Amino acid sequence: MSVVARLEESAFRPDEELAALLKQASEDGAVVSFVGVARPTSKTGDPVEQLVLDHHPTLTLQSLQDIAVSAAERFDVTHVRVVHRCGEVRSGEPIVFAGAASVHRRSAFDAADYLMDRLKTEAVFWKREVGASGSEWIEPTDADYADRDRWG
Amino acid sequence: MKVLFYGRLADVIGAELEVNSPARCSVSQLRERLATEHPLAAQALRSKRARTCVGDRLVHDAHVLSAADTVEFLPPVSGG
Repeated sequence: MSVVARLEESAFRPDEELAALLKQASEDGAVVSFVGVARPTSKTGDPVEQLVLDHHPTLTLQSLQDIAVSAAERFDVTHVRVVHRCGEVRSGEPIVFAGAASVHRRSAFDAADYLMDRLKTEAVFWKREVGASGSEWIEPTDADYADRDRWG
Repeated sequence: MKVLFYGRLADVIGAELEVNSPARCSVSQLRERLATEHPLAAQALRSKRARTCVGDRLVHDAHVLSAADTVEFLPPVSGG
């Protein structure tokens, strides 16, 4: 069993994170991964140049670790890996990698789903979309909270 | 006491504020005072999803603050 939770201040490579997870899980049978990517447009259709993720000096990494450990404890998984960007993320760049490995696929799917539902609503970041018309703070939607609450 | 703000609260109030608080001031009393003094931040300060930390620990509204505390107001968080 391994749990990795990292905060990255510059661009990271999701393919390298997946490769590391595959290597760790070479005898396990199932690996599921999710990559979140900065969108080029806002909900209202305005172009977005970059997403800026402010973070807390201690609570942000702690929240990533807590969520990753919680997934490892809750599901029958062999490895959990979370990598999250902070700072300025240009549209099209990865924001988050959430991956899990297990002996059978269902646990890895569930763990990845759970990781993202909790990251969306509990990871300690403050996000704003920056475009030509200014910047807009982005907070979780009611649907995001409902997704998180599915897990009890 | 020192008060730190993040996200949209830092946008409106600034990242850091020195507040002369009365003795035995609760978190909710400090929040209401800040909301009155910074009306543009009032809604975010009073949000049920906003959190307050002292010493990197979440505290409740009734928590009593001391002048030596550093208090942090965190608007709703969002990753992913």
